[in-house]
Amino acid sequence: MIEYLLLAFGEVIMIFGALGIIRFPDVYTRLHAATKCDTGGAMTILLALALYTDASVFIKLKLLVLAFLIALINPMISHAIAKGAYKYGIKPKVVVDMYAWDNP
Amino acid sequence: MVEENLLVTPFGWGVLVLIFTSILLTYRVLFGPTLPDRIVGLNTITTKVVIMIAILSVISKQYFLIDLAVVLLMVNAVGGLILSKYLERRGRGD
Repeated sequence: MIEYLLLAFGEVIMIFGALGIIRFPDVYTRLHAATKCDTGGAMTILLALALYTDASVFIKLKLLVLAFLIALINPMISHAIAKGAYKYGIKPKVVVDMYAWDNP
Repeated sequence: MVEENLLVTPFGWGVLVLIFTSILLTYRVLFGPTLPDRIVGLNTITTKVVIMIAILSVISKQYFLIDLAVVLLMVNAVGGLILSKYLERRGRGD
């Protein structure tokens, strides 16, 4: 039962990540949504698969190794793309201006 | 034994949801205003393909396909790093 809950959680994260990539206004905010849905959703779905399958222990271990590699690789690619996009010449459109929230 | 119908488990429907989100992300790859937008969309689609391969290998009990998913993930990493290095060189103007 817990694996179906984990699967539903991962799929919901995937759907909202795709919506964020479509709707956000900037490269960096899109990268934020992409990293969330890639790492969190993918690791959750792989954990659900490792709980679901009735194969031997080595297959489950292989799925967990795949989840570990995703946790290593995806944030690295996101950092590299953000650095490359900034050096490419794209300035962030979205700024956090907390003083303007209280003093309109 | 290989299942004839792959939609007998909720994981098969999960594959359909992943395909739907990949089609949504194809909009960002095709019509992205700048080059880094397209790279972000491509990396996300490739990670979703990795998850699809893992789910289908577990459902259809062909477990050697998990190795293929690991290889595709590493190819994704190398491709993303090379494209980001290309972006850095392009911004400097040479």
